[in-house]
Amino acid sequence: MRVSALADIRRDLDRERDAAGSSAALLIAACVAALDVTGAGIMVMIGRGHRGSVGGSDDVIRLIEELQFTLGVGPCIDTCRTGLPVLEPDLAHPVTDRWPELAPSAVEAGVAAIFAFPVVVGGIGLGALDLYQSEIGDLRPEQYADAIEMADVVGREILAWQADAPAGTLASELDQPESLRLVVHQASGMLSVSLGISIEDALMRVRAYAYAEHRSIDDVAADVVTGVLVIER
Amino acid sequence: MADRETLLSETFVEIADTLVDEFDVVDVLTTLASRCVALFDVDEAGLMLAAAGRLQVVASSSHTMRSLELFEVRHDEGPCVDCYRDGLRVECDDVGKAQERWPTFAVEAMKAGIGSVFAVPMRLRDQTIGSLNLLRSGTGGLTESDFAAAQAMADVATIGILQHRLVVEHKVIAGQLQSALQSRIVIEQAKGIVGATTGLTMEESFLAMRRFARNHNLKLMEVATGLVTRTLATQHVVGSSRHIGP
Repeated sequence: MRVSALADIRRDLDRERDAAGSSAALLIAACVAALDVTGAGIMVMIGRGHRGSVGGSDDVIRLIEELQFTLGVGPCIDTCRTGLPVLEPDLAHPVTDRWPELAPSAVEAGVAAIFAFPVVVGGIGLGALDLYQSEIGDLRPEQYADAIEMADVVGREILAWQADAPAGTLASELDQPESLRLVVHQASGMLSVSLGISIEDALMRVRAYAYAEHRSIDDVAADVVTGVLVIER
Repeated sequence: MADRETLLSETFVEIADTLVDEFDVVDVLTTLASRCVALFDVDEAGLMLAAAGRLQVVASSSHTMRSLELFEVRHDEGPCVDCYRDGLRVECDDVGKAQERWPTFAVEAMKAGIGSVFAVPMRLRDQTIGSLNLLRSGTGGLTESDFAAAQAMADVATIGILQHRLVVEHKVIAGQLQSALQSRIVIEQAKGIVGATTGLTMEESFLAMRRFARNHNLKLMEVATGLVTRTLATQHVVGSSRHIGP
């Protein structure tokens, strides 16, 4: 970058944190502005199996994160697994069809190109920064370099939030019920009882149901919790 | 001393090398202390680091050095103490004339056969983490190039130590982040289990879990984990909450 621009972003984030005005929305807005992309989102890994979102800049990126949660495949998941950036400059016509279940819905929602960068601090993988463009095309070299830097800024910001949180609690910036899909985990707990299966299997059932019915997993889970929907054996 | 430049470069490489892999602070600083004695016109070298605002002796080139450093810490007086407190270089080319500045240390140093003492701070910007201390049996000053080289060595070690501390701190916070995120999920799963078993709403299920935790002096997370791993029966949790208190 524009090293000075990046330094400005770091300083702004520090100031906002000091003024207790920091939020996931501000961090994500900073990513979109600094990287000159259509939208950006941040995903966190929870243990080995679960994923949560920190938030997204618009409905399209929120849909992408939801699809990745439901399907268990996608650029964020690949970048976390490999520790390497994932670049798909033409999602509708990829060289290798990495995410056949995800691509059609994402393209339909307006995603022409999608990219994901690992969020790693001091060798510890925390999650991923995902970006999308409404136009087909590679990231420019400076955008690519800036995205790697921003992923580092994101990781340090997340740790700074958590460092300020009271002992034993989750930083308020990260404790967002919708982003963490808490209702899906409630539904998993309920299904594990009604179907007599493990929690992990119950989560798989909710995901499979949402995919098969072409429905939002959050809506499916909310219907399970309120008793509107009964998923049977 | 013909090959001083070579030895100096080698020392930097050696220190840099130890900073990369398994970082052992004592090991790095012990190497540094022995190299100072080889490189500079001094007889003893030692390093002290502050922990919670108090200096601690970490590395010394000899027993004499170690004894004097411990003496300084105990009496809170001497070149290392001044250097750490002010974050500035300390030079005293005749310790016999420093009894006013260091009444107890000067006497002790002379008893140990020390004539002159020097110290450079281990400092990065406004953060001083310790000091590098150099002693000589004779009197007289240290050359400017020795001072500069000693400061450069202290700087390299300081950066390595601060970086290492940051990595350790990040690991701790990342661990806390993971367990906080995990608890969030386990508590929701447990709410679902209680709700499906009893017909309570999610909110009521949460309150029942919290009541049970309070009444049994358990953490909410322990109750939730018990429910999810099926080591704690839902009826037990909800049943007790109906009988004991609000």
